[in-house]
Parts: sequence; C-alpha cells; structure tokens
Amino acid sequence: MKRLKSYNNPVGVSKYTGLWLIMPFIVGFSLFTLYPFVSSFILGLTDYNMSSAPEFIGLDNYVSLLTDKKFLKASVVTLKYTAILVPVKLIVSLLVALLLNLELKGVGFFRTAFYIPSILGANLSVIIMWQFLFTSDGLVNQLLALAGVSPVSWYGNPSSALAIIILLRVWEFGSTMIIFLTALRDIPKEYYDASKVDGCGNVRAFFSITLPQLKNVIFINLVLQTISALQEFNAPYMITDGMPLHSTYTVGMLIYDEMFSYFNAGYANAVSWVLFMFITLVIALLYAVTRKARRDS
Amino acid sequence: MKKLLSIFLACSCLISLSACNNKKSDSVTLPDGKLDKCTLRFSWWGGDDRHEATLEAIELWNTLHPEITIEPEYGGWDGWTEKINTQINGSSAPDLMQINYDWLINLSSDGLAFYDLNLLTDSLDLSGFDEETLSFGKVNDSLNAVTVSMSGRGLFYNSQAFDSVGAEYPRTWNELIALGDTFKDENSYPLDLDIQSGSTAWYLAVVYVQQNTGREFITMDGKLGFTCEDIKSALDFYKSLEDNNVIRTVKERIESDGNSALYQSSEFIGGNIAGVLEWGSAVGKYESVLDDGVLESGPFLTDDNENNTGWMIKPSLLYAISSNTKYPDEVATFMDFLLNNQQCAEILGTSRGIPASEYAFEHLEQTGMLNGLAHENAVMLNELDTVTISPYMELAQLKEYYNSAIEKVSYGICSTDDASKEMYDLIENYLEKINR
Repeated sequence: MKRLKSYNNPVGVSKYTGLWLIMPFIVGFSLFTLYPFVSSFILGLTDYNMSSAPEFIGLDNYVSLLTDKKFLKASVVTLKYTAILVPVKLIVSLLVALLLNLELKGVGFFRTAFYIPSILGANLSVIIMWQFLFTSDGLVNQLLALAGVSPVSWYGNPSSALAIIILLRVWEFGSTMIIFLTALRDIPKEYYDASKVDGCGNVRAFFSITLPQLKNVIFINLVLQTISALQEFNAPYMITDGMPLHSTYTVGMLIYDEMFSYFNAGYANAVSWVLFMFITLVIALLYAVTRKARRDS
Repeated sequence: MKKLLSIFLACSCLISLSACNNKKSDSVTLPDGKLDKCTLRFSWWGGDDRHEATLEAIELWNTLHPEITIEPEYGGWDGWTEKINTQINGSSAPDLMQINYDWLINLSSDGLAFYDLNLLTDSLDLSGFDEETLSFGKVNDSLNAVTVSMSGRGLFYNSQAFDSVGAEYPRTWNELIALGDTFKDENSYPLDLDIQSGSTAWYLAVVYVQQNTGREFITMDGKLGFTCEDIKSALDFYKSLEDNNVIRTVKERIESDGNSALYQSSEFIGGNIAGVLEWGSAVGKYESVLDDGVLESGPFLTDDNENNTGWMIKPSLLYAISSNTKYPDEVATFMDFLLNNQQCAEILGTSRGIPASEYAFEHLEQTGMLNGLAHENAVMLNELDTVTISPYMELAQLKEYYNSAIEKVSYGICSTDDASKEMYDLIENYLEKINR
C-alpha cells in the first residue's frame, strides 16, 4: 500500500487506520451499551411481559409511575439513602485520607487495610458478617449490653435497617479515600511551609489550603458516589431484602423485581429511564451549583 | 455520521422489538429418533440433600450413556426464578429444567417457551402418570412439563423442643394457639411462619379460612375465590398467632434472623423455634440441620369437629425441556431416566418428594425406600380432602401483596380491616390484568 506521508500524517498511515484501531471499542460500546440503551427506551413504551409479543402503549407506563405507591416509596428511600450516605462517606474518606497522608510508621499497612472493604462489595461473607454484628444477639448488641445500653433492633426498625446498609457502604470507603489521598499528595508542600512561616495553624491550613486544592476531587467523588447511591441495589437486596415495611427498598430493587420477579419488562424499563433521567438531572444540577466554586479553584 | 447513527438507531428499534418475541420465531428442532453424542445442560434448585442425590444420579447416567454428557446447574431457591427467566428470554435456557408450577403461567403462557412433550413420547414414557397428574403440565394443549411429585405443606416439629416443655403436637387450631402459652415460659415458640419467598404465613392463614368456609382462595382458572371478609379472617387469624406467642412477630423474626432462611437460623437449629410449615418435598433441608430423627411430622390441623379440609397440594416440581434444545431425543431420554428408571429412583429417593411416576413409586415401595418425613407427609395428605393449589396463588406479585399486608398488620401500622380491603383490590386487579 502506498504510504501517504505528509506534514499532518508523518507516519503515513491510511485514514481508516485510526478507525480500525478503535473498532473493538465501537463494537463493544454499540452492542453492550448503545443497543441495550435504545432497546430499554423502546421497551419502556410497551407492555412487554417477557412471554408474549410487546404492544406499544405510549407513555402509559410513565403515567402509571405517578400513582404507583411502591415506586414513590422506593424513590423516597433512595433519596434519603443518597442524602445521608454521600456526605458521610465523603467526610469519612477525607478524614482517613488526611490521616494516611501523615508520614506515620506502618501507613502502608493501614492504607491496604482501609482499601480492602471496598473491593469486597456486598458479597455473601460480608452479609454473614453484618448478621453476626447486627442481629438481636449480635456483637454490637452484646457490646451495648456491656455498656449498660438496651439492645437495638437493627434489622427490625425501619430507620435502623437503613442505617446498617448506609454503614456498610460507608465502611467501603476505600476507593473514595484513595482518590482523596492521591490528590492530597499532589498539593505542593511549599504551600504548607509558607503558611507555617506566616503563623498559620493546622486547622487554618486545612480550610485555606487543603480544601480549596481538593475542590475538583471532592466534586468528582461527589458525582461518582451520588450516581452509585441512586443506583443502589446489591446491599439492601442482600442484607434486608427491602424489609422492614419497604424501608430499605430502593428504586434499583423495584426495577429488578418488576423485571425478573413480576415479569413487567415494559414497566421496569420505564422506571429505569426515569432513574436515568433523574440521575442526569441531579448531576447537571451539581455541575451548575458548583461551577463557580470549581472555577475559582 | 448523523445518517449512520439514525440507521443504527432504527435498526436497534427493529431488533429490539423482534428480539422481544424471539421464542416464537426460533425454529424447534424436531426429534429424529437417534441418540447423538452431545452435552446437555440440566438445572434444578434445592437443598444439599437434593443436590447430592441428583449428582449421584447423573454419575449413574454417565455410566449408562457415556456419549451424552450432562452439565449440572444447581443452587438454592432464592433468585432461581430470576436466573431461569433471564436464560429463557436470552434463548440460553438449559436443555432440561426443573420448574415450579407457576412458571407455566409466567414463562409459557402461550405454551411455546417449553418443548411440547407430546412430540417426544418415543423417548419419554409417560404411561406411569395418570391423566390428572399430566394435566398440571399442559398449556394450550401442549404438554409443557411433567410433574415430578405431588406435594403439600405440612407441619414438622422439633421433638426434643416439644419434649422439653412437655407438650404434644397440636391436632386442632385451638390446640395450636394454646401451645403459645406453654412455650412462652421457655422463651420459645412452637412454630415459625415467614413473609419471605415461602410466604408460609399467608399459606397457613388460607388453609384456616378454606377449612372454615369451604371456599378456595384462588380458583384454578385464576379467579379470586375469597371475599374481602375471608381475607380479613385470614389476617385476623395470623395476628392471633402472633398475639398468642405461637409465632414470632415479623419484627422479632427480622431482628433475630436478618434476611436468613429459617433452616439457617440459630433460633431453629438451637430449638427455640420448635416447628415449621414446609413442603414435604423440601423438608430435608430442615431435617439435615438437626440431629437424626429430631424433626417429626405433626398432624394436619382440624377444627374442633375434626373437619380436616382446606389443606392444599400441588405438583411440587415439574421437569420441562427448553423449546430451543438442539437435542430433543437425548433430553427426553435423560428425562425418562430421571422419572422412571428404577436405579435412578433408588438414588434420588424422596429428595424431590414422593415420585409421581408409578414405576419409580412402585420400585421405592418394593425396596422399602418410601419412608422419612416426605413419605409420612404424603401419606397423611392422602387421607385428607385436599384442595389443589391454583398456580396463580404462587405468582410473585401476589406473594408480595400477601407479605406486605401481613407485615403491615404485624407492625400495627394497618388494621386487618384496611389491610384486607387493600389486598382484596390489589389481587382482583392483578388477576384481571393477567387474565386479560
């Protein structure tokens, strides 16, 4: 093949070479992301029940959502869960990252130890551990009893049931913490040295140097954690199965049940799209609200 | 680029809609009367006792038919429906599946998701099944599945726990309720009912009302047989069990066991929970966590006039062949082996309940293998005037309505009156929707 060397193409590759090189991604993206994405929207406009041919019903599924008490309850639970989890997890991650950023002995061990929970996820062993900790005669209640405190019905009370799921996800702060830690390492030490010369204390240095320098990273973690929390499925499904009284029943669980337990594929896809649009809206709002603060940094 | 994207999106739309109905468009491989070398997938759910017996049966099959390899796919009940549903809709279902009774409505309402076994009678001997047993697997004149065993839920008790409080197994509903006081002194309970996937709480309440009224909860053709008052009576009955310490409240159950099944609960294994309502075909998992012989069958409860109606039976399990299988003769031969082969019947025993196949049943009877809790349960059920459960009763959406109503009543956030009205409307609307 004739090589087409030029100023803009010094190696002389064909103009289609780049396209071929990214073809594996394009094929993968088209098959496993774009196609399901489009299909999902179309199915949301049908009454597909997975055993007979779908019929087009327009926006009926979306209209039904407005009066579906279960969906409304699941939405409230998901919002409450996100509103509590995201700030708590970000604060805990940041605090631990600050500690691990200190030049202490054995810091490598702690860095690994804190990261491990985040790769465990809500798997079976974690679920068993949570039951060992939080059932009525679990370790936490035994410790409370030693301290003279009455036992708490962790699984049985709607509010505490949500709390133990939030606690599980907060405990898995490793990846958020690692992002903070990396950003902390990038802050030039000269800033802190100069602030010390000016008589600045640690607290002042944190608010005047560290936080402003971390603004963009905090925002990234905020976005990632918000998306992940709004899509929550695994932890409540494994730990409480939505009980008690649907107090831990998230929109993600509703989609799963509608699709795989009740065979309402059309409705499940409509709920997925509402969740997708809601997440898009929330992220757009987060971008808009924080734009000025991020630019200033 | 825009034009390309539009074409792609248009194609996606077409493919999506056609893929939704791929079960019907796929051509069915017809039997050719030969056994070719192949690998077949066989899936089932169950407890360890069933898994071990089935794997041993597959080993026997391998010695008889080394040219046909069986790949087992097995696990617990939780999440199994969802898994099979995904496989069927993705045209990747196993060749042979153990299916649940209500799946015929959910997964094959048109009779096309499973192979029509009428086409496979050269390889599959159905002469050991009576017409009524076969009728449970028929959908639109297509024989979609064959009943493996008939089963009913019965009461099984921890004999040591009963001995320790000096109590006898209850015979009537009133005796059951009176037991609550006896066990209360020991901080334990004579029975446990759940609002998880088993929905045993609602099941027992339905039996109670069916016995009292003579009305079926849901008829075989999917109509609600209970009135709103009947549903209220069922919920009142459930609440009386909680109030009289016969069972734990929903809250006590959740805070103590979390999301675990009862047979994994320390409360049951330790004897604080002395009884369970379970299918005769699945009681092995409760039996295996206690010492040998500790779990015993209890009498089916009656009213004070010894009226024993209202208890229910159903095909506990069925075998079905995927309509996409490329090896219908081979799968049918393997299915015949599982259902009718005498050596296989010996290995499987009563791990799937008392066999519905006359050949397997007679062989087990002759070899003295018909014993154990599953057999005792079946014998006792035979003496009752039982009701065949409507497959509609086990639909997941309906279970959600039962469990939700019971949970609200148990937590005291809803009166039985309000809960029954809400539940009645929900069930009526849902049955109307799916029958439409």
